[in-house]
Amino acid sequence: MKKKLSPGYVLIYLFLILWALTTIFPLAWTLMNSFKDKKMIYSNSFALPTGIAFSLDNYRNIFANYDIVSAYRNSFIISGTVAAAVILFSGMAAYILCRYRFRGRNLLILLLYAGMMFPIYSTIIPVMRMQTKWGIVNSPYVWKNLLSVILPQIAGNMSFAIIVLMGYIRTLPVELEEAAYMEGCNMFGTYFKVVFPLCKPSMVTVGIFSFLWSYNDLFTQMFFLRTKENWAITILLNNIASKEGVNYGALFASVTLIVIPVLIVYMFLNQYIIKGMTVGAVKG
Amino acid sequence: MSANIYKHKKLIWVFLLPAFLFMLVYLYYPFVQNILNSFQHIKYMGTAGGEWNTPWYVNYTKLLSDVKMRIALKNTVITIAATIIGQVGIALLLSLLVSNIKLGAGFFRTVYFFPIVISATALGLLFNLIFLYDKGMVNQLLQFAGYLDRESNELIDWKSKHAMFTMLTPVIWQYVGFYFVILLTGLSGIPAELYEAATIDGSTKRQMVRYITLPLLRNSIGTCVILAVTGALKVFDLPWTMFVNGMSNTWLTGTYMYSKVYSDVDYASSIAVFIVILGVVLSAAVNRIFRQNDDFEV
Amino acid sequence: MKKKMVLVLAGMMAVSTAFAVPAAADGVTLNVTTTYAGEDSNAQNYKDSVAAWEEETGNKVEDSSATSDEAFKSRIIMDFEAGSEPDVLFFFNGVDANQFVEQGKVVSIDEIREAYPDYAGNMKDDLLGASPVDGVNYSVPVNGYWEGMFVNKQVLEEADVEVPTADMTWDEFLAECEAIKGAGYTPIAASLQEIPHYWFEYAIYNFQSAETHNTVPESVDDEYGQAWVSGLNDIKALYEAGYFPENTLTATDAETFQLFTGDKAAFLIDGSWKIGGIAEAVDDIENFTVVNVPGKGDRKTTDEIGGLSMGYYITRKAWDDEEKRDAAVSFVSFMTSDEVVSKFAGVSATALKEGASPDTSEFNALQIDAIDYTASFTGISPAVQDNLSAAAREPIFADMASIVNGDVDAADAVAAVLEANAE
Repeated sequence: MKKKLSPGYVLIYLFLILWALTTIFPLAWTLMNSFKDKKMIYSNSFALPTGIAFSLDNYRNIFANYDIVSAYRNSFIISGTVAAAVILFSGMAAYILCRYRFRGRNLLILLLYAGMMFPIYSTIIPVMRMQTKWGIVNSPYVWKNLLSVILPQIAGNMSFAIIVLMGYIRTLPVELEEAAYMEGCNMFGTYFKVVFPLCKPSMVTVGIFSFLWSYNDLFTQMFFLRTKENWAITILLNNIASKEGVNYGALFASVTLIVIPVLIVYMFLNQYIIKGMTVGAVKG
Repeated sequence: MSANIYKHKKLIWVFLLPAFLFMLVYLYYPFVQNILNSFQHIKYMGTAGGEWNTPWYVNYTKLLSDVKMRIALKNTVITIAATIIGQVGIALLLSLLVSNIKLGAGFFRTVYFFPIVISATALGLLFNLIFLYDKGMVNQLLQFAGYLDRESNELIDWKSKHAMFTMLTPVIWQYVGFYFVILLTGLSGIPAELYEAATIDGSTKRQMVRYITLPLLRNSIGTCVILAVTGALKVFDLPWTMFVNGMSNTWLTGTYMYSKVYSDVDYASSIAVFIVILGVVLSAAVNRIFRQNDDFEV
Repeated sequence: MKKKMVLVLAGMMAVSTAFAVPAAADGVTLNVTTTYAGEDSNAQNYKDSVAAWEEETGNKVEDSSATSDEAFKSRIIMDFEAGSEPDVLFFFNGVDANQFVEQGKVVSIDEIREAYPDYAGNMKDDLLGASPVDGVNYSVPVNGYWEGMFVNKQVLEEADVEVPTADMTWDEFLAECEAIKGAGYTPIAASLQEIPHYWFEYAIYNFQSAETHNTVPESVDDEYGQAWVSGLNDIKALYEAGYFPENTLTATDAETFQLFTGDKAAFLIDGSWKIGGIAEAVDDIENFTVVNVPGKGDRKTTDEIGGLSMGYYITRKAWDDEEKRDAAVSFVSFMTSDEVVSKFAGVSATALKEGASPDTSEFNALQIDAIDYTASFTGISPAVQDNLSAAAREPIFADMASIVNGDVDAADAVAAVLEANAE
């Protein structure tokens, strides 16, 4: 492999780096300000927290006063379950909608688009009534309360997931599935042995975004997770931020604490998305 | 495309049922309630529907004559255009470029994802500071560059003079990474052999993009455009944190609906119905454009 | 099948927490919801008092307090609708409570007194905060609020004007604003776009009196309706004179507040709860004080806005529960005792017969000024906007920008509010 430093490459890198700067900047800025005292942020939010300006108080405050471990645990149970369920169910539905022609299919696809548009504000009230009737709202059992967040979130991410997976499955060559069929696989076998593994990159993408949206979905959490032992991370940190009022330092520290686990999950799963790509991408 | 193997349809409901059952219970049933609510008079959010409106469709006639709704629609059309060109366009360019380099590709893939993970509240705060009137980053830079007069502390009120631009910049910028990841996933599905064969045939890079990548990426691009259109129709959190109550006439359909959610429940329901109808129609249209001979026959 | 494993694992994790059975308490467990959470300055006091009560009685409090916003309010209303309301609720006593008061889901003080004659005996009954529905007392208040004009003394000094006094007239106030503006400062820190509430309240107060202010007009043409229109036009005049920040129609409240604490703006009308925020934001609290809002007409400069807008409710559900009734009464009595109320009240008003006795030894300069300020009141009226639902307020509060820049006529906005309110 020889590297050529053609002007084309320089331009590409220049553009990529410029965009990268815009995306790194806010995160760096958030991180930076999370180490600053409120007054320092007011006076100059773009200055580096060095010397006496550097302070861990925002974090110390959070860790000393709140049960952040329990909130992380609840968040991971909720969002992990949501992502897993969404991947499993949306993949099966997307496969059928893509490959089979049957009556009512167009209606189902229209319903999918509609499902993506429903604002949470317009569905929350009937959902709340139903779940209260089932006894999973305001329950003394933590798992019931978590379930009352998990179920609506699975439904909420389903449309998006099916649409993305349909777009991906459609590009897969049907020959592999035919081969499996020849070997005697039925629908279940074809899907789980052939289609599902081939869809891994797209499944991971869908999983990442389902996880992310579930994790950041403050509104549902606010309605269903009321007492401290039920709190997930986003609602906990929202409480901290609101307690601190316009204390931006606490706000930035909470944002940092929210963001870090998601970034770790993303970096960990990122490799699945790109698998196969590096082979195909560049020659020359 | 349906090959022989897809003729046995007896059991397909087993695969469809879980997903659609979830949506039936948690989305469609509640939304039918929402549709009913839009014809009723509801005093407080959360109370059961009261009596029917007189006339029952009054919220919809109100919708048609609502000046703010008209502003919201106009702005939303602008937003849709800007998101398709801005978000999907930039994301496509970035994903093609990143897939064509080796050094640092992993780095770019990771950092382009950053903006999506930061909550709208924090981003709103950041962009409020960037576009801040006095001592904001942009105004300071412009003063530094001499475009604005520093002596008299000349300033630009971005949220009033260039409101739409100030609102759309962060919205577009934040979700580029989202489409970037989806397109990257699509790219990973293109078999490497195609590129290898093309290289042997002596194709240039540009030809490969034109004749292999873009056609095979059509489905992913179509998906992105649908997500961008529907996203533009319902976006509210970031615009709301920066432009509360549609200040400087920046209403979007999403923010306008949100502003009514607690204060005018039944009217908000009718806006939601309107958004959903618009979204479905536009999605179906996009689908036609991108896959007309493929699989969607409305 | 790795994904399936993940699913199974996640499921198992979720199930394992399922067996974290809630600890059974010896006494009674009360479900309590309050707004003493988040930025409320009494959040810590509340926590301490709850712990003290638990200690004393052996009962347990299952606390689901949250910051009060529109989402919180609708959650409470939906809880009542769905039958999952708390046993004890600390909530607004104005229109926000109408729903569950109308449905008889909270117990009136009179009814409680039939079984517990001493209930709320330390309070002045006429200050408890009767429900707008039927004029009956349902809740027991803790601490009230007042509104006033905070002043940045340094800005006044540099503009060479005096700190406003209790006898300052409206015209004198305008003259001061002009001088401050001439000196290159912003006279009034306010975001008309986000928080026009305080200015609305005082501007219309100026065309009424402490007795009449808390009256929602019947129509835009009656005496009160005209007062509202004139008040709004006064705000418009202040805006046109350039006394608000240049970007008051686009700035956030945080931004304009920063003008005030950053020695760039002179006056800020806000509530008693802002004292803590000012103290936190500035280095030299001695530089700040709070004074009477200059008045005109029948409103004396010393007639201010204030009241007790929240209180503890006992729900019908808890009252009918033999086990919980005693505990609920004991909890509310504890939380509204002279001692606890004094601790919560600080410099704000209370309904205590004996008056509050806050510990002033730790007060900062602004808090001490605030005591003098409250002592100067000759009249006090609740905020009239608390009689309006969020929907009804909208044509004025969400559209103040259009009103002051002339797009919407003040009389039309008032008419729209009254129409929405009549619905």
